[in-house]
Formats: sequence, C-alpha cells, structure tokens
Amino acid sequence: MSIFKRAFLYVTRKRWKTLLLFAILIIMATFVLTGLSIWKASEAAQLDLRQSLGGKFDIFPDWDNSPYIVKEIVKDEIADEETGKTSSSYIMYSTVQFTPENIAAIKGVPGVKYCSARQDNLLPFDGLSLFPGTISTDAKYQGYTKALGVCSTEDDELFTTGTLKLTEGQHISADDIHAAIISQDLAERNELKIGDYLTAHSYRVEDQGFTGQEIKVQIIGLFTPNAVEQFGETVTTYDKIQNRVFVDLQTSKEFDGGEINYGFSALHVTIDDPQDMARVVSEIKTLPGIDWKAFTAEADNETYESAAAPLATLNELIVTLLLVIIVVSAIILALILTLWTKTRIHEIGVFLSVGIRKSAIIGQYLIEVLLIAVLAFGLSYFTSNAIAGQIGNHLLEQSMQTEPEDDNDVVSAAAGIDAGEINLIQKPLPTENGIPVSVGLDNLAQLYLIGIAIIIVAVSTSSITVMRMKPREILSKMS
Amino acid sequence: MPTLELKNVSYTYEKGKTVLQNVCAELATGKLYAILGPSGSGKTTLLSLLGGLDVPTQGSVLFDGENITAQGLEHHRRNHISLIFQSYNLIDYMTPIENVLLTAKLDAVPILERLGLTKDEAQRNVLKLSGGQQQRVAIARALASDSPVILADEPTGNLDTDTAKEITAVLKESAHAFGKCVAVVTHSSEVAKQADVVLEIKRGHLKERDL
Repeated sequence: MSIFKRAFLYVTRKRWKTLLLFAILIIMATFVLTGLSIWKASEAAQLDLRQSLGGKFDIFPDWDNSPYIVKEIVKDEIADEETGKTSSSYIMYSTVQFTPENIAAIKGVPGVKYCSARQDNLLPFDGLSLFPGTISTDAKYQGYTKALGVCSTEDDELFTTGTLKLTEGQHISADDIHAAIISQDLAERNELKIGDYLTAHSYRVEDQGFTGQEIKVQIIGLFTPNAVEQFGETVTTYDKIQNRVFVDLQTSKEFDGGEINYGFSALHVTIDDPQDMARVVSEIKTLPGIDWKAFTAEADNETYESAAAPLATLNELIVTLLLVIIVVSAIILALILTLWTKTRIHEIGVFLSVGIRKSAIIGQYLIEVLLIAVLAFGLSYFTSNAIAGQIGNHLLEQSMQTEPEDDNDVVSAAAGIDAGEINLIQKPLPTENGIPVSVGLDNLAQLYLIGIAIIIVAVSTSSITVMRMKPREILSKMS
Repeated sequence: MPTLELKNVSYTYEKGKTVLQNVCAELATGKLYAILGPSGSGKTTLLSLLGGLDVPTQGSVLFDGENITAQGLEHHRRNHISLIFQSYNLIDYMTPIENVLLTAKLDAVPILERLGLTKDEAQRNVLKLSGGQQQRVAIARALASDSPVILADEPTGNLDTDTAKEITAVLKESAHAFGKCVAVVTHSSEVAKQADVVLEIKRGHLKERDL
C-alpha cells in the first residue's frame, strides 16, 4: 500500500482528529494570510505614498560659508532726519550659479524626476493689461508683473504639480530664445494668441528701471491655472497667477540687463522616491562642473517621513506579528502532533515490524497534515478576505495613535508645498481613507510556502522522540 | 540449507542481564516450531533477533546463509519475515482487507476467505471483529506478504481454547500447505503438541525437546 493511500485512509477515517487539525490549520492560516495581506497592503501604501509625495530638496547658495558671495552697496548711507540713524542698501549674490548644463546633468541622475529653476524679474510689458490684485501696491510697481525665467516650463514645479496646465501651444525648452508662455485669461484679456509678441525693456541701472533695450518675446504657449486665490485672499497684481509670464533663461537674462545673473542661484529638485533622497543628493554632489563650495542642499523629507511614519510602524507591527504567529503556530502544531504521535506508537510498531521505513512513516504523517492543510489554506483565503481589511485599518489606526500628536494631522493633510506666493495644488494622501487590504493569490502562494515549512518543522519535531527508538523498544511499549 | 540460522547468538540487556548465551539453532521451511520457556527466559528476545527487530550482542542471525544485517534489518523485515503478535497489531483505521494489503504481494481476498473471513467481514471496521477474526487477519497479512518466515509471539494468548486451536491449525497449515517456516513463541502446551519441532530456552540456552 502506498504512502499516499495510507495517509488518505488516516485522514478520512480519523475524522475528529482531521476536523480538529483542520480547525487549527485554518485559524493559523487565516492569521498568517491576514498578516501577509496587510503587510503587502502596507508596503503598497508606502510605495504609493512615496510616489504621491515624491521627494524634494532645494539647492541654494551657501550664504554663510561660500567664498563666492558678493555684497555690493547700491545706495550710499542715508541719514534719517528724524532718528539721526544712517542706513545703506546693498545687494548680495553668488558669482557661481547653475547653468542649463548643470541642470541637464542633475536631471540625468537616476531617481531625479524634475529639476526646477527660476529667475524672477518684476517688470512691465508694453501695453499689457493685467488682472488687478486685491491689495494695492506701490505706485512704482503698478503695471508690473513677474516674468519667470526658466530652462523648461515642463520641469517647473507649477506645471509638474498640476497647479498650471499648458492648454495650448508648447512648453518653453532649453533651446528657446525670446519665447513666452502666458495665461489663457491674460491672452483673452489682451486679445493675444499664440505667435503674437509681447514687448518689454531691459533694466538700466542708470535709470533704476526697465528703460533699456527693447526685447520682443513670442507667445508659444498658453496655460490655465487649476486654482486661483480664494475669495478674500490678499494678492498683489504682480503675484496674481493669471498675470505670470514664463520666459526662457536668455530672455530673462536680457530683462535683467546685467552680468550678475547668468544662471540660476537656486534649484528645486523633485525625486521619484523619497527613500532615495540620501543617494540622489550624494550622487548630485559628485557631478562635475558644480562647485559645491558655493551651494548647500536642504532636503525636505519631513512631509514624507511624517506621513510614512504610521505605515512604517504598521509594517514593523505586522512583521513582528507575523513572526510571532509563525513561531507560535509551529510550536502549537508540533505539540499537538507530538501528542498524537505518542498515541500512534502502536501503528508505528506495526509499520516497522512489516518493514516500512521510518522515513516513510514520517512521510505519511507529513502527507496527512498536508492533505488537511491544502484544504484549510484554501479556505483561509475567504476567511482572511473577510477580516483582513478591518484588522489592517484597525492596526493602522493603532499605529497612528502611537505617533506624536502633530504627525496625526499629516496623514490627513495634503502633499502641498508652498511655492512662494502660490499654493501648489493639493493631492489627498493614499492613507487618508485607510489602506485597501485584499488577499491576493501571491499571498496565498506565500501562505502555502510558509505553511508547508511550519508543517515540516512541526512534523519532524513531533516525530523525533519516537523515531529515535529501536523497533523492539516500540513493540515492547505496544504491549 | 536452513532458512533461518542462529550462530552462537548471545544477548545481554543494557542493564547487564544476559538472556541468551551462545544459542545455535536452524529453522527450515515447511515446519512449525514452538519455542517454549518460562517468563523472562528470552523467548521474545529470540523472536526479535530472528525478526530483525534487534541485533544480538554476540553472534549472528543468518537468512539463507547470509547475515541479516548485510542488506539491512528493514530489508529483512520487509522481505523475509512476517510477524504475528498476541495483541494482533492491526491498524485500527484500516479495514481487514486494507490491513492485509498493507504489505501484500499476493491477492488478499482468497487468503482472507480461506482463513474464514467473509467479504463483508473483510470490509468492516477491524475493531468490530472478534479476537479470533482479528488474529486471522494478522495471519492473512503474514501470508499475503509472501514472506518465507512467519514469527508469532503468543498468537493464541488472548483467545479462547476453541479459537486458539483454530489459529494453531492455521499456523500449522501455513507451514505445511504454504511451505512457510513458522516459529511460535508460546506457553501453551496445546500449541507445542501441534509443532513439528519444540525448542526450549533454559538459563539462556536453547535446546530441542523431544516430542
């Protein structure tokens, strides 16, 4: 009689034992499968969170330590008649700046998603009618708007976050000269269209104003904002999103009129995975052509770390629980099987007396448990599916309660980062409504592997005592 | 050539008690042997050594002239020996026919029928059979395994007189009709009377007793 037939006969004839073992295995499998599915969901949520938030860091001049910082007085000391105190105006800038080539090199580093850099100029465009702001500005700045000089609008944070959307025409790229993108609203207000020109003048130090050389820029694209300032929110005319004008770097430099700003003094880098932050920053620091004595990098991983903390805690909790479940299951199973093996000493004696090998006897025990386990593990798919979601979100809540109070808010907060005067569009975080837990076939496959390992350990452990005895000892115990 | 041979076999327990001393014996096919002796004299130990359940501390056990350890005791038990016990030792989750099929090399049904079990009885729960029927199943298992040697340890010990007679007759038939070498450890003089050869253990020595 084959080992499989013997195992099948035992399982089908010893029904109470089979049912008891089935119940134990289904409970064990449900716990393991639930743990595995929550673990998977937690990992997926972390990945989702990382992808949603991304990682960001800023590179800017090291104002304190850079040897390239220049401080120039632009106005002599002026004595205040009332107080008698004197004051002077000066500008501070770094003579080392990022070039478009530097930006291209940074974008080439694996893991870097976007590299955003801007030059700001506040200037008037000839005949351009602007949307009025909600607060008045100095008379000098009336009719002024912000011209943002960029390498590529496609990489600009306002576009990458979806705050602005290019609805017509094309983005400004590194090769463009005298190109501009304006808002669709501003274009309609001024009856402008793609291909039309805007005219401005370069800055003249002598006049302290934009009275220099005439510069014409061609409109190559139109954008629409996804959000504008709220009712009652204070905003100046030049800060209104609809009044923004994006231009290429060359044009921006021409607007500036001087030699000081030949590139970008600061960069905003977005990476795919916040977990890669340290690696990406260190790789960027090894790029040739960037003098790191001039710059410092500041990572902004706080949002990610705060949002990911409950998930990380949940992950640790689940891994610990899984290990405990696996070890406890193996111990319980081994104890039960040990007790049962002792009651089967008579059978072992008979098998040994008819020449069946000890390995074949252990093999039969293993097959018996596996036969029951196959069914129990399969059924646990449904039981786990029924409870995994509830347990997962309960554990997530527990994990969130173990975090510091401030961090609780972060989960329900949004992935928005203030970009100057404009709030970037806000996206809900993946964990806001709990984590979706479902038991997958991959979890079931893992369960089978873990379960089989537990069963092998338990059956082997339970059989050691009896199997070390000589056949005659067993037979003498039988009688 | 004898089927089973004991050559200068001695056996000493771990506690130091010697039960067998330089035992020599030859057991041939077609004969029923009765092994007698007082309790604790080493009868069951002798049977265990013949059956490959244990090894002698000295000497050797030969099957067809070859030491049984040469191919391994499991091989010896599986291919040369069938054991029958006082407590029948049937597998309780198998029917009689399944018990016989456990090691069967021959067709189980005719053997069970020849030993007096009906088809219905052969399909029943083995624990629902009478003691005599259970012992018949054990004998059927031994016969169906087609081993040349049947070793029985007090096979009639738990049976009433009539059933014991029937079982002894079956064992005798196994030796004479099936050509087996049957060795029975027993206290029963009735069994000894039916044997072709009676061996007696006294103070560790095995001697053939006159019939």
